[in-house]
Amino acid sequence: MLPADWSVLRQIKDKIDGIEKLALELKTLGDGVPVIERNVRSILGFTHVLKFGISDMVENEDAQGGPE
Amino acid sequence: MPYWNPYLETFPRERMVGIQLERFRQILAHAKSQSPFYRHRYADIDPRDIKTMEDVKRLPLIDKAALRKAQDDKEPFPFGDMLGVTPEEVTTFRQTSGTTGKPVYVPETVESWQWRVEVWCHILWMAGFRETDRVFVSFGYNVYVAFWEGHYAAEKVGCMVVPGGALDTRGRINKILEVKATGLLNTPTYGLHMAEEAEKMGLDPRDMGIQRMLCAGEPLPQATRRKLEDTWAAEVYDHIGGTEPCAWAAMCGQRNGLHIMEPFFLVEILDMETLSRDVEEGEIGVAVVTPLGRRSFPLVRFDTKDLVRKGRPGCTCGRTSMMIDEVVGRTDDLRKIRGVLFTPVSVEEVVRAEFPEIAEYEIVVSRDGIMDRITLKVEPKEEMGEVVMKDMVARLALRVKIKTNLTFIVEPVAPGGLPRYSLKAKRFRDLRDQGGGD
Repeated sequence: MLPADWSVLRQIKDKIDGIEKLALELKTLGDGVPVIERNVRSILGFTHVLKFGISDMVENEDAQGGPE
Repeated sequence: MPYWNPYLETFPRERMVGIQLERFRQILAHAKSQSPFYRHRYADIDPRDIKTMEDVKRLPLIDKAALRKAQDDKEPFPFGDMLGVTPEEVTTFRQTSGTTGKPVYVPETVESWQWRVEVWCHILWMAGFRETDRVFVSFGYNVYVAFWEGHYAAEKVGCMVVPGGALDTRGRINKILEVKATGLLNTPTYGLHMAEEAEKMGLDPRDMGIQRMLCAGEPLPQATRRKLEDTWAAEVYDHIGGTEPCAWAAMCGQRNGLHIMEPFFLVEILDMETLSRDVEEGEIGVAVVTPLGRRSFPLVRFDTKDLVRKGRPGCTCGRTSMMIDEVVGRTDDLRKIRGVLFTPVSVEEVVRAEFPEIAEYEIVVSRDGIMDRITLKVEPKEEMGEVVMKDMVARLALRVKIKTNLTFIVEPVAPGGLPRYSLKAKRFRDLRDQGGGD
């Protein structure tokens, strides 16, 4: 993978985190309303996959001191 | 774009282990906090102490029998002590086929199902499936997971998916023609059976427009894979996995070995005798798999009983993951016959590679006095003259003897005389514990 991709990857990670945060806020606002809760659950299912595919890798690399 | 996730698939392998170990600690901590099975089993283990692969190896293996026991008559029904989430979070029920005993029930949440589908998106993308494909799934999926995963993943990839349940084989062939399908998902056995049936309908499978086929549900020796490619004039792809762990390795366009999906799984290939030592490249071992992102049904060091030949990391496709050279069979099917270790796949390789005149076969091991007797029943595609049949029987007996070091009684059966299967074929029967005779 090209090191030059890392700045983009970090931006992607931030956006994924942002989607998750917004989804959780939406869930809180729509507490008890099925249309909100169930659709937010689906959104969070997709953010789980994106975190698994992208964010974990960025976090791990940063924890290791980041790519050179 | 050749990769579904270029970042992960080309990630330097030496740095991948850090991600895997972190995920391993997380899934172990989750399992211990949510599942009574793991709480008890790993009572003395602190996930934070797992820092190296050697630490991982200190944890005991689990297998299907342990899963069955953890589910048997335990609450919450029907998943018992294995459940890693609350029962209210479970949205999908699947189960194993029950080939080797009572089925294992597998729960999925919205999140864990998406994770499984994502794994399958990698598999389909590697096999070249794209949004231009019309994919026909030649099954009623019922409670069996693989084709559901294939269906959902093909949709996510962007293919047009045509479910093929509730049709007989001729109905499926007609539907493939009607929708101009370009891709198939089926078992290898059923792929061969559909081709056989198409020929009876006066069709040539090579002209049916199928460009690629992904096989599931059974071992796919190279000889059978090539036979399918030749029969359908299509690229045929293999993968390996199971209901409990999900699919964990698959072929890329090179079709030369299978990529372990390391970001998603921690896969160990261990020696058959002790299940403790990592085998070397080129050596056959048992795959022990830990899915790293599925919390509904946490599996830690699951002994799949799949026998694979370990490959090397990297591939000309650019993916960096560890490869397995081939799937050899299952320890369940491994038998000692007259002192010789035997796996049925070795016979399949001979039959499919060298005997195109054979449509179907079955191996039966029985007892003849104190001796083991192996009968290989073979069904020719069409009626054969006595001389031709005698010659075929003699050649086959010799070839399987050379391949396996065992003597087979080759017994011809009339065309149509052996069963056909749509899911898992049962071509091997060991009757020795049932008093012998066929």
